[in-house]
This record gives sequence, C-alpha cells and structure tokens, in this order.
Amino acid sequence: MKVDAVKTLEEIKKILHESGDLKSRTVQFFGTQVAICYIAPIVDNILLNQTIMDPMLAYPFKAEDDILTTLKEYVLSNNEVSEYIDIDSAIEKLLSGHCLMLVDNADHILSCDIEKITVRPIAEPPTSVVIKGPREGFNESLKYNLALIRKRAKTNDLVVKTLEIGKMTKSQVAVVYFDSIVDKNNVKQIMRRLKNIQIDGLIDSHYLVSYLQKNPTSLFKQVGDTEKPDVLVAKMLEGRIGIIVDGSPIALTLPFILIEDLQNSDDYYSQPIRVTFIRILRLVGVILAVLLPGVYVALEKYHYKILPTEFLVTIMNTTQGIPFSPFIELLFVVLLFEILYEANLRMPQYFGMAMSIVGALVLGETAVNAGLVSPPAVMIVALSGITFYIIPSQAAQFSVLRLIALVIGAAVGLYGILLFCVFLISYLSSFDSYNSAYLAPTAPLIMQDQKDMFKREIIKKMYKRPKSISNNHDNVDRRGKDEN
Amino acid sequence: MKINYRQLSVMIFFSFISLKFLVLPSVLYLHSGNMSWLVVLVLMILDGLFAISIIDLMKKNQDSNINEFMNNTIGPVLTKIFLAVLALKFFLQVANIVKGLEFFVVENFYNNFSWILYILPLIGLTSFMMYKGLRNIARVQEVFCWSIVIGCIYIGCKSFSGVDPLVYLPMFKDGAVPLFESGYRHLSWFGSSTFLLILFGKVDFQNPRKKLCIKYIIFAIILVQFIYFIFYGLFDITSPTHTFAISDISQFTSSKSIIDELSWLVVSLWVIMQSIQIALYGYCLVLSLMYLFHIKSKIVVITFVNILIFALSYLGAETINLEQIFFTPFASIVTIISQYIIPPILWIGYMVRHRRQNKISGVKNEKTKVNI
Repeated sequence: MKVDAVKTLEEIKKILHESGDLKSRTVQFFGTQVAICYIAPIVDNILLNQTIMDPMLAYPFKAEDDILTTLKEYVLSNNEVSEYIDIDSAIEKLLSGHCLMLVDNADHILSCDIEKITVRPIAEPPTSVVIKGPREGFNESLKYNLALIRKRAKTNDLVVKTLEIGKMTKSQVAVVYFDSIVDKNNVKQIMRRLKNIQIDGLIDSHYLVSYLQKNPTSLFKQVGDTEKPDVLVAKMLEGRIGIIVDGSPIALTLPFILIEDLQNSDDYYSQPIRVTFIRILRLVGVILAVLLPGVYVALEKYHYKILPTEFLVTIMNTTQGIPFSPFIELLFVVLLFEILYEANLRMPQYFGMAMSIVGALVLGETAVNAGLVSPPAVMIVALSGITFYIIPSQAAQFSVLRLIALVIGAAVGLYGILLFCVFLISYLSSFDSYNSAYLAPTAPLIMQDQKDMFKREIIKKMYKRPKSISNNHDNVDRRGKDEN
Repeated sequence: MKINYRQLSVMIFFSFISLKFLVLPSVLYLHSGNMSWLVVLVLMILDGLFAISIIDLMKKNQDSNINEFMNNTIGPVLTKIFLAVLALKFFLQVANIVKGLEFFVVENFYNNFSWILYILPLIGLTSFMMYKGLRNIARVQEVFCWSIVIGCIYIGCKSFSGVDPLVYLPMFKDGAVPLFESGYRHLSWFGSSTFLLILFGKVDFQNPRKKLCIKYIIFAIILVQFIYFIFYGLFDITSPTHTFAISDISQFTSSKSIIDELSWLVVSLWVIMQSIQIALYGYCLVLSLMYLFHIKSKIVVITFVNILIFALSYLGAETINLEQIFFTPFASIVTIISQYIIPPILWIGYMVRHRRQNKISGVKNEKTKVNI
C-alpha cells in the first residue's frame, strides 16, 4: 500500500465523521507532502511542537532517499514512534492521543505518542484513611497507578499484562502479580475470563466484578478492592493478583477471602496488641450490626424471661403506650435509618450537617416523644447502624442481612436467628474464590495463618506467606528461602 | 470434594458429644444410678476404638466410596443389607436429635411454640447443608467447634462449686449387671462412629497430623465425663427429673431467671451444634439411600428425607411417643449391627481380599522370575 497524504487524511476524517476536534496540517518536507493529524483535546501541544513540528522545520540536511526513514530516524525526537500498515490500527492510536503522519508514497503511516495525561494529583483516598502509613492513593490514570506499584516493587518478578476491554471505550486493563509467588492457574483463569468479556464500555473497575466472581448474584463481596498502592503490593506479596483499569482509581484483587475485610492497612503499621483488640472489636461489631435488632425483637416478643428483671421492667415502662408491635417499631426505625443514610450520602455536602440534625434530633426525638417508637428501639438501631461502618465495604450487605434477621427474629424468635447464623456460615463456606476457601483460615482451620487473623503477630514472625490464599506453594518463605 | 484430616477429627468430636448432653444423663440415671458415668465411659471408649479402626480402613481405601468398597470386599448381597442397616441407624440418629432438639427448644426458649415453626426452618437449613455436601458441613463445624467447647467448660466450671463428690459413693452398690443392662438399653445414644463408614473415599489423608483424631476422641470423652460429673454431682437422685442436662446445669446456677447471664449463649450454641449434627446424619442417610437404591439425583433423596423428618415431627407432635422407639431393643440391635458388627466384617473382608491379591501378584512374580 502506498500512502496518499491528502486522500488518506480525507479518509480518516470520514471515518471519524468529520469530528470537530480532529486537527490536521499539511506541510512540505523536502518536496514531499506530509499530512499531520491529531485529536486536539487529548494531545500535548508542547510535545507536538517540540518533538514533531520544530525538528521537521529545523532539519538542516538534505533528506535521504526514503523520507519515512529520515523522519523516523533523524528528525522526530519523540519517545515512541511506530508504523502502521492498516488505517484502523492507526486510527486506534490517533484516538488514544497519538499524532499520525501521512507521508506521500510511503508504505506505512507513522504514529508518535504525544498523549496529554490529565489526572488529578496523587492524594490520600477518602475510603481508606490511615493514621500511620503511606497516604498515596491511586488516581484515574493507569500509567500513574502502575508507576506507584513499580515504585514499591523494583523487581523483575513483577509482571504487568495489559489487555483492552470495551468495544467502544477500549479501556486498558492491567493484570499485575509477582511471577514467583502467584498461583499460575489463577492467572490463567483470570486472563481467560477477562479476554472473554464482551461489553461495549468499561467505565470503572467494578464493571469487571460480575465477570470475575464465581457467584455473581451473591450478596457477599467476592473480589477485593483497594485504592492504595501499598495495600495492593502487600496483597500481591501474599499471592494475590491485582487488576487495574484505566480510568478507575480502584484496583481489584483476587483471590478474596472474608477475613480481608476485617483487616486494615493501618493494622500493619500499628502496635500488634492494640490491633488484636481492634480486630476482635470489629468482629463483635459485625455481629451486633447484623443481629442486634433481630435479637432485640425476639427477646421482647418471645424470650423476655431471659432478660434480667430490672432491664425487663425498664423496657416495659418505655414501651408502654407504643401503638405498634416490637417488630413494626423496629422495622420503622431501621427503614428510617436507611432513608436518612441514603439521603445523607447523595445530598450536597453543605446540607449534610443539617440533615444529620434533622435525622437524629428532630425525627428520632420527636418520634419518641410522640409515642411512635420507644427509646430502646432507637438506641438498638443506632448502635447497629454505627457498627456497620466498622467494615465500610460490607455495609450494604449488612443492611440487607439486618433486615432478614429482624424478620426472622419476629417470626421465629431466637431459635430462628440461631439457624439463620448457621445458614449464613454454611452459605459462606460453600463458595471458594479462586481455589481459596472464603472462610479461611477459620474454615478450614489453618493454624499458621492464625498469626494474622484476629491476633496480629509481629511482622518478624509472619515469615511465611498465608496458606489461606492460593499461591505458589514452592515459594512460601518471605525471607527469600525456599521451604524445601 | 474431600475433607481434610483435621475436619474429620472435629466431625468425630462433634458426633461423640452431640447426643450425650441432653436427655441421656437423666434417663441413664434411672437404670444405672450413680454409676451412669461408667456406662458412658465404657461405651464411648468402645466407640473411640471402633472409630480408630474405621479410620485405619479408610486410609487403606482412599479412592473408593463405601458402596464400591463393600461390593468389592463382601459382595453385593451383604452390601445391600448393611447399607439398609446403616440407613436405619442414621434415620434413628436424625430422629433422636430432631425430637430431642424440639423438646429442648420448646422447653428452654418458648412458652407456646408451634412444631411447624420448629421444623420448617430446620428442614430448610439442613437441606441446604446436605445439598452442599460434606465439606460444607465440616467447615461449619470448624467455625463453631471451639466456641461450643468453651461454652460447655464454662457451664461446667460455673456450677462446679455446687458439686457433691460423695454422691458417687458407694460404687457398684447393685453390682455390675444393671450397668450392662443399662448400657444395652441405651445403646442407640451411642454408635457415634458409624457415620465414618459413609465417609469412605471422602477424606484427604495427605499430611495427617499424627494421632490428631485420637486426641479429639480423648478430649470428647473427658468433656462428656466432666459434664456428667457435674450433672450427677449437682442433682444426685433428682437427676431423672432434670430432662436437659446442659440447660439444667446452668439453671442450677441461676439466681434471677430461667437461663442466666451468659449461659443462654451456651445453650444457643448447643442448638447450633445439634442442627449441624442433623445435617451430618441427614447427609449420611441421603448417601446410604442413594447407594442402596442406585439413585443419582441428590435432590430427590434429600426431598424424601425431608418428608420423613417432617412426618416424624408431625407424628411425634400428635400421636406417637418417639422416646419409646429409642429405648426399645430394636434401636439397640440396629446400633450393635451398624457399630460393632459391620466394621469387623469389613476388616475381615478387606484382609481376605488383600491376601488373595497378594497371592495372585506373588504367583505372577514367580512366573516372571521363571521366564527371566
């Protein structure tokens, strides 16, 4: 194929529907016509001038026989210059911030990378604030995010595999892992799933979640996520695989096990005994968040004999005159809480404070004074609601579970709630995430990994990679020695 | 989906203690008096020995399930008979726990409680667990194992100060014969290792920790003996009137309400354990019926088992005194066959087959040598 600068430029314009942001210029270079085109908003003008236009205009010598070779080897000072035979591949590059050079009678189209990267600065992610430890967070640029990982893992063991997903968005997706640590079967499985994705647009990394988890309809999260490069690298060092999507500040991690949500990056930068205490507190918080309203209704309705007499008298005094049954009363408060939460979340920030006051004081206080709900009911739901945020990433699931527990507590009492607990455990035990048991290291019990479950052992003693995560079993020693 | 050796040990532990803390202590006292603990000790040691022997046999046949193994060693006719006996044993165990748990739940948690509300959630839960299989049941047991152990020890320790050790004296005042009679009469509460037969080919014995199973069995025996010591030491001749040992021990220490302070948590854990045991024995029943009638669909058999449980609960609530079934010689005979007769026969069958195979391979080797 021989390129005709003008004709090819026209063809490109036609393919791009005469797009207004497609800019072009035709110049003569030693008697040969060269058409230059680019998408203005996504290219860096300074780079365009410095690496393409200025060198071309200032080139002092006579051109060699082959203009294309002269341009490529002597003139253009750009880092990435590539050649394309077919126009479709060239347009793909054009759309990702490259500048195309169409040289008359040349065999190829030249492309130079002058992409302008517009990103917000690296900042502390709002979802994972730490008191001690690194404050860097991912942003929406894949390049920057990979740089943050490379900064922490200066090893040839770090593998970055990229692929493109999305028929329209053509989003870049990077799969990152440590080659000697990861379970290769998991890599194969994840790559296969990613390659099979048929979707027109990949807007955020969470779009991939339903393709990657084995029970996509399940209530529970089966893919880990993080906005922090230190967390991602730490997880990769345990054998997990990271998935980063261009345009999303959230990296996904696989395999995922439930205990990860009880752990926080802060835990590893703090004093172990305190961390152990905090982790136990988190577990208690989870139980309270899900079961407290249900247990309260069950106790009030069926098992009041269990309660100490003084407490029973207090409840009786406060619930006297309430027109609703304990279940309706609790349901009302729970729903009120959910509504306030949703409203607070989506309301402009300056309304937030007003909303909290209206929610907590006006609605709560007035409902109690009006005799619609009793103070213990408000207290129970408030306590359960606060404890939700001990594990923010699972808060949405907990609110559904809380509602189910409430209904069961009202219908069957404590016996129903006990069976509900067994069912939950059984349900969670039933799915594995990429060869890793979801409830590990509790079920199956893995003694070695108890060092980093509720108890957090000192870093020095955690010299073996966790067995709970499926990883390369021949490389489990973190001190750099093989176990054998 | 195989379970690991630790999970197997936990499963045995659960089976050893599951039926022992509810009705058994009180009914046993009626026939064995202050020597009831000895009956329990002897029968549990027997269960333990049989458990170890079955595990040894399982280790030698890791790839074949019980149906294949029995067919290969004792032939199809005996296999059918044994599978039928095993199915009956598991049904009796399920029935025993379902009814025991129902009385326990109604007595301890409710004033008026419909049996429908009891049985439907239970069937829902156990069906799910049976369907998900052995590994699921094993994992759930692992999650609750230590909290149940701690709970039992807590209840025992809390009541320890009220125990009168003199109630155990004099020993053997009526001789040893009543103890044998009592043991035979209550055999259906034992036979805790029968379920292991169904687990042939379902346990991964890679890197087993030496003697872990034995440790769990010994621990189960000690825990049961501890609770029995507390129970009889507290209630002495009034023991038969205290229907549910585990809750009545905690009730004894209560000063304010039916179930005091943390004790109700322990009682709750007990309910959890019993429901998991129903799922385990139900799973064994499902498998033995599948092998027996060559049914491929698990769902069909689970549905059938659920109908059985439902009918049992309904009949139990309306007409039949089910407790009598468990004390009858019939239940004891089923236990004797399933627990004390089948494993030795399987061992003998295995040895005979093994010797025969050795002979054949020996002849082949000789022929090869001659050829060389």
